[in-house]
Amino acid sequence: MSLKLGTVDFAKYPFLNEASKFLAESHLELDEFNRPEMEYIIDRAASRVEVEMQGKLYKNLEKHEVEVLTFLAALLIVKLTRVEQILKKHCLFEAMRAESFLIQDLRNERDEKKKQLLLFEIFKELFKVNVDLDPDNPQIFRMKLTDYLARSSHFHEDGWKIVNRTLHDGYVYLDADEIVRLVRNELSNLIYDKIKTMPLSNIPQPILEKANYLAFKFKPISEYKQYANMDNPPCIEHALELMSKGENLPHTARLMLATYMLSIGKNVDYIVALFRTAPDFNEKITRYQIEHLAGHTGGLTRYKVPSCSKLESEDLCFRTSDCGEISNPLKFRRKKT
Amino acid sequence: MNSLKSSDLILVKNAFREYYFKYNNLVEIPPRINEREFGFRSFHSGMIRHLSFENIRQVHATLLRDTPFDFYSSNAFYNSPASPMQEKGWKGADLIFDIDAKDLGLPCEASHRYEMCANCGEIINSTVLPCQACKNSAIRIESIPCKNCFLNLRREVNKLIAILTDEIGIKDDSISTYFSGNSGFHLYVNDFSFHSLDSRARSDLAGYILGNGIGPQVIGVRNGPNNTVSIMFPRTGFKYGWSKRLAKKFRIEQTSSLKLIRYVNKLGGFDAFSKYLTDYAKEVGIKIDPHVTIDIHRIFRHAGTLNGKSGLSKLRCVDIEHFEPLDAACLLNDSVVQVYVKPSTLKFQLKGHKFNISHNKVRLPTYAAVYLICKGLATTVFPGSC
Repeated sequence: MSLKLGTVDFAKYPFLNEASKFLAESHLELDEFNRPEMEYIIDRAASRVEVEMQGKLYKNLEKHEVEVLTFLAALLIVKLTRVEQILKKHCLFEAMRAESFLIQDLRNERDEKKKQLLLFEIFKELFKVNVDLDPDNPQIFRMKLTDYLARSSHFHEDGWKIVNRTLHDGYVYLDADEIVRLVRNELSNLIYDKIKTMPLSNIPQPILEKANYLAFKFKPISEYKQYANMDNPPCIEHALELMSKGENLPHTARLMLATYMLSIGKNVDYIVALFRTAPDFNEKITRYQIEHLAGHTGGLTRYKVPSCSKLESEDLCFRTSDCGEISNPLKFRRKKT
Repeated sequence: MNSLKSSDLILVKNAFREYYFKYNNLVEIPPRINEREFGFRSFHSGMIRHLSFENIRQVHATLLRDTPFDFYSSNAFYNSPASPMQEKGWKGADLIFDIDAKDLGLPCEASHRYEMCANCGEIINSTVLPCQACKNSAIRIESIPCKNCFLNLRREVNKLIAILTDEIGIKDDSISTYFSGNSGFHLYVNDFSFHSLDSRARSDLAGYILGNGIGPQVIGVRNGPNNTVSIMFPRTGFKYGWSKRLAKKFRIEQTSSLKLIRYVNKLGGFDAFSKYLTDYAKEVGIKIDPHVTIDIHRIFRHAGTLNGKSGLSKLRCVDIEHFEPLDAACLLNDSVVQVYVKPSTLKFQLKGHKFNISHNKVRLPTYAAVYLICKGLATTVFPGSC
């Protein structure tokens, strides 16, 4: 294919292999971040992380030279903070930033070949997923059912169930925003892996200073130890531990954790604080959802803790010999006490 | 099975052993046999699981040596199939669908349904509990599927195959259909791309086939304020799947938004329409057992082995239209035995013979006697052949 991605695409999607090639061709050494003209890039990278830590998307987009370097500087800063919550949150928000650009590009791009190239570079190259344009309508995308199910089954909204989708000949038909949303977690994981595998040697001082500043400013408010308890069953302890690492828990695990905490008498404020380390934490939404589970709003029904068999089917069960034959996580506590 | 008396056990076990001598060629070799967990229910000591076999000869040897009442193999492939469940190392699983006559809600069911005391096996009436003989209140229900049951089962299987091929995109030759050996059919999908799907993904797939969780948005009906509706038809139109089925039902096209709004309002607004849609999808959805499809650690009756609930064989159906389960899968011997039949009258058909029993003490071919004994509807009068 003679068509190539342009530099503006590198600016929007700096994680692409093509963008990395561009960086390699420019022979940039880490030392160069010590140069005064790099101050703008480093400040920009730090402020990008800061905005993300406040739960907002960093929307500003500059030319590709600036964006690719900012992306790299931000990765270094985040890695050097050595705070898992910052790392996870940055990855998620970087994925969401790319998602917003990609939706626009897929919606607005009229050149079918360019659109297919974007799909190929992002979905096929990065995630090994084939995404095609509907032969009858190039505004609609389609994905193999098995690829779709492997991703969509982690979403809990009814709209993602295949019974509510157009399905034909093994393909699920999707809009641009839907197809992009499906790979958000993978994109976040890809950026996470990039950070984790970055070598840490000859770190420029200005980068280190920004990292120390951000690590101090966004030191985790809540610690796993604060919530850990010998009386909690292993499924709950496992979820708490993941939370403490800033992991993005699936909806089902959050439901389990919240209903469990409510059942053992914890109040809404306590549980909201517990979720504060989630990369996508939004206090208003979290509070609303917990109040709903507690039966304070909506149908006024208090949600029960899911049974062990339900948790097992959702891969949330981490049964140990201490669990014995219990059928509900709450029984572990009763057994212990 | 444990409630059977010893002469019943001897009769059934001998008939089963003879089957495994004569028909071991029917016992299928599953792909990746050494990665599967096997298990069986023996005549004397309950369920044994976590077995593994390297080849079909070992399977044949076990069937002959132990002559199990039921013999199973996993749909899953494991690194270490004989280890305890948590240590097996799940690698993937066949996608399986189960359609059983009991889930079809057929009107004929009442005419061939028998209620027995789960403790002593006496025929009882569930409205008069506890059992007069032993004072136990647990009931066992057995059914003798009739021609109508299999006619409807075939229709359901064909509908399922149409959805699997046209909508789910599975090639026709990747689907194997089996008579379950009792009152249903199992469909196995041999398509590598489905092996890695977890329970949640399979649950979504089962939901699609059943029509569970369908929402008005599938045909573009959206909720507005105060139970009003707006219409935004799917961009793919009504060409495929559920949107096609629903568009046909409501007789709408992509230009019929006013007609659809009128329809929704006539039913009582968005919420009432959602409820109507849910009921309709449930009615036209394929009546698979979702638990079977969702379970990725289950052990299933192994193809070519006998079903302990009937003495019939679980057999592959190459041409389901002409497959008569009660003839083709009835492979036990014909030697005559005397049995006591519990219901006062009983009609059934096996191996091309119609049985119309009106006396309790009757002489039946072994295959028919075993069929009734396995269902708890008869017991031996004298052990062995007459």
